Amino acid sequence: MSAITLIDYDAGNLASLEGALERLNLPFVRAVSPDQTASSGPIVLPGVGHFEAARRSLLERGWWQLLPELVAEGRPLLGICLGLQLLAEGSEEAPRTSGLGLIPGIVRRLGPGVKVPHMGWSQVRQASAHPALPDPDGAWLYFVHSYALEPAAETVYLADHGRPFAAVEARGKVMGFQPHPEKSGPTGLLLLQSALAWMGATASVPEAPCN
Amino acid sequence: MPAKRIIPCLDVKNGRVVKGVQFKELRDLGHPVELARRYDLEGADELVFLDIAASLENRGTREAWVRDVARELSIPFTVGGGVSSVEDARSLLRAGADKVAVNTAAALRPDLVCELADAFGRQCVVAAVDVKRDPDLGWRVYLKGGTEPTDRAAVDWLWELNDLGAGEILLTSMDRDGTGDGFDLPLLDLASELPIPLIASGGAGLEVHFLEALEHGADAVLAATLFHEGILPIPRLKAYLAQNDLSIRI
Repeated sequence: MSAITLIDYDAGNLASLEGALERLNLPFVRAVSPDQTASSGPIVLPGVGHFEAARRSLLERGWWQLLPELVAEGRPLLGICLGLQLLAEGSEEAPRTSGLGLIPGIVRRLGPGVKVPHMGWSQVRQASAHPALPDPDGAWLYFVHSYALEPAAETVYLADHGRPFAAVEARGKVMGFQPHPEKSGPTGLLLLQSALAWMGATASVPEAPCN
Repeated sequence: MPAKRIIPCLDVKNGRVVKGVQFKELRDLGHPVELARRYDLEGADELVFLDIAASLENRGTREAWVRDVARELSIPFTVGGGVSSVEDARSLLRAGADKVAVNTAAALRPDLVCELADAFGRQCVVAAVDVKRDPDLGWRVYLKGGTEPTDRAAVDWLWELNDLGAGEILLTSMDRDGTGDGFDLPLLDLASELPIPLIASGGAGLEVHFLEALEHGADAVLAATLFHEGILPIPRLKAYLAQNDLSIRI
């Protein structure tokens, strides 16, 4: 079955994300273990909390091993917030461990000189063009984080908090959002829709009325 | 710098949003989801729900409306009221709240703040503090919905909360609350020295009051009646603040 697979690994609440997918009319399954993964369609890796705690939780459930394999087979993967950071090569939050390495770069602590966590609405700007994501033209998105991925040449959107950081990353069908599109009003919802559509998610067709 | 945030505050009792009129009957304003939807559309940046009659018995009711709100809302929200353990907070966060607010329980047992920050990250922990100015002693902390004075100095407690791991302070001036005379600006000047975001509460009556509070270091401003009654529509307030060169999400 083709559906969005929402990884549920006890790192953050899925209620808002599920609500957003319902409003977008996108079918999804909530998967606690890898055997619950839909047979095709994008995989969404959400997450809030500590890098290492999340990594361990994914490892225990078998996702940490599986995700690179699925990506190698061409499966689209979207990381949100901590989910994006886990896709990177590593994080200053957990210097003794590594990330999934699906997006190059290191996640570094924000600051000094600014309030951390970076919490609230910030504007994003385009850094490089992407087939699915429009020029945000200063759109406001909601962020909650203390660490951020360093920007690279391929970074799609940038945001600033003391320094510029990667707000949206894409490497082929692997994408990452540092902001929470599901918490970013209508703008965020549109962005989530565009990203998931590009990754192959299709809206469910409403059933025909029986007449 | 992130945008300055406009936050409507909703008091909830037994699963309904109520308007508290002091010493009088509470007026029913609707289901939390209805108001959440309305404020989402109006352009609120965040919502705060305070469960004013939190008890063990209504815990299930609360989880149900928190879950409903999370599914409907496309902006973040905080839930507070009677949160006194990691388990209380977990149930709210699992139901979909983005943050939990603690007040009296944290003052009685400050370790609660560290425990919450350790368990969920400090971005999930809002420390609500009610203060009132004593002519001789300065601002003092009050507990239990402002009914119980303490001899704790407000500024000391704010810094302690920061050190314990609070991610944000929701600071209510009881002197100004309900007056419509404007926020307590000298209080905000002191509190905005904190390295964590500050939500100013108590005293909003006019557009200019919000501007003053934000210029005095608040990162966000909270109000209830003014928004609930439609006296000051959020789009109008935001347009006014943006015209005054504040960073506002429009």
